Amino acid sequence: MDNLRFFEIYRSSEYLGLLFDGILISAGLTITAGLLGVVLALVLASVRYWQVPIVDRFAAAYVDFIRNTPLIVQLFFIAFGLPAAFGYTWPFWAHALLALTINFSGYFAEIFRSGFASIPVGQQEAAAALNLSKKTIFRHIVLPQTVVTMFPSLSSQFIFLFLTTGLISEIGVPDLTHAGVFIDSRTFRSFEVFITLTILYIVISLMLKSTLQIWFRSTIGKRVSD
Amino acid sequence: MPIVSMKAVQKWYGDYHALKDVDFSVEQGERVVICGPSGSGKSTLIRCINGLETCDAGSIVVNGIELTQRAGSVAKIRSVVGMVFQQFNLFPHLSALENCTLALTEELGLTQSQADEKAMQYLSRVRIADQAAKRPAQLSGGQQQRVAIARALCLEPELMLFDEPTSALDPEMISEVLETMVSLAEDGMSMICVTHELGFAREVAHRIIFMDEGALVEARDPIGFFERPENPRTKKFLSKILR
Repeated sequence: MDNLRFFEIYRSSEYLGLLFDGILISAGLTITAGLLGVVLALVLASVRYWQVPIVDRFAAAYVDFIRNTPLIVQLFFIAFGLPAAFGYTWPFWAHALLALTINFSGYFAEIFRSGFASIPVGQQEAAAALNLSKKTIFRHIVLPQTVVTMFPSLSSQFIFLFLTTGLISEIGVPDLTHAGVFIDSRTFRSFEVFITLTILYIVISLMLKSTLQIWFRSTIGKRVSD
Repeated sequence: MPIVSMKAVQKWYGDYHALKDVDFSVEQGERVVICGPSGSGKSTLIRCINGLETCDAGSIVVNGIELTQRAGSVAKIRSVVGMVFQQFNLFPHLSALENCTLALTEELGLTQSQADEKAMQYLSRVRIADQAAKRPAQLSGGQQQRVAIARALCLEPELMLFDEPTSALDPEMISEVLETMVSLAEDGMSMICVTHELGFAREVAHRIIFMDEGALVEARDPIGFFERPENPRTKKFLSKILR
């Protein structure tokens, strides 16, 4: 263990800068795709809840499709397949953001769908007996309870998805994994580099997780726990 | 005109014949208690009245409105029929007050302050106004059921349906709910109540109906029902529960 060379590697401000930029890109893309994905997922799950003719079939197929294909194939398809077919060029990060948003939305939509479906029959009957419209039931009974009960699932799914975003390095996005792989190829100090990546991913995951928890407790969760 | 009139109502759950050719009517201001062994069709009967169950044959007319397959008739009937459930079925994320005001603001177009005022009036009516800000989980079973009664009353129904309102309560909570129901009865509310509380039945019912195996077996005034039951099945049921 006395031949570890952390200091030598990170003496180079170039490598530190790459890691720093990698963190920003990984976290930034994950958070942006997470937010967009939640919105898209709510739309998808709502369409299915409301049984919008035809569209609900598409939403169901979309979710099944996303959840049953590998992220790496989705990435390659969006970054290389579609541009090859339609002849457009986007920056790498835009391909990554689109692919991650689509990927996240599929998983989040399934969580929302199961939440919408888990409102107890008794509450549905009470709502029916009170003559509440489907719109009121959805907005005031189904949605608020789903957001609260499904938050832990959404949060842990989000962290899991963050950990899969290292794959965007494969389409050339200079994310955290990409930075690590690059530094390793220059220095051949694989142990030091990947220990560093491991620690950085753990730290970012825990930070994302606790930020979500604090946000939840101070906003939505506040009503439930007091 | 009776407030509820059911004629030749049939209901099947698959092969199971839950309601067998039921003829049943309730007059305006009348209080009817339905009792009978479990699985006798009591709950199914009252759930057909406000369309929570659909019957397979026969006709149901509530407050002059015929219950048909069209959605409009169900909504009209539900607007004059309040229902209280065995498990209270309050919305757990809303306060007692919000449980009461939701339908008023969202469906009847009252402003929040109008709705609050009306809800507080009915929460006071069931003597629970001081708990208005609490959510169901912070209330006892008896308190939750009284909130559920207030929630139904807020819509100013012509008829109240009670589906075993005290069966899920601890013994010491039963009387507060029954007292609330007695006080409603004293105000002349039309009520159909499925319950095993025979003391309540004796005190407030105009008529007690005994159901068994999906059929109305006997319908009597309380004194006749308890003192001189005619049908052997009624006698057997009473002998079991009166001991």
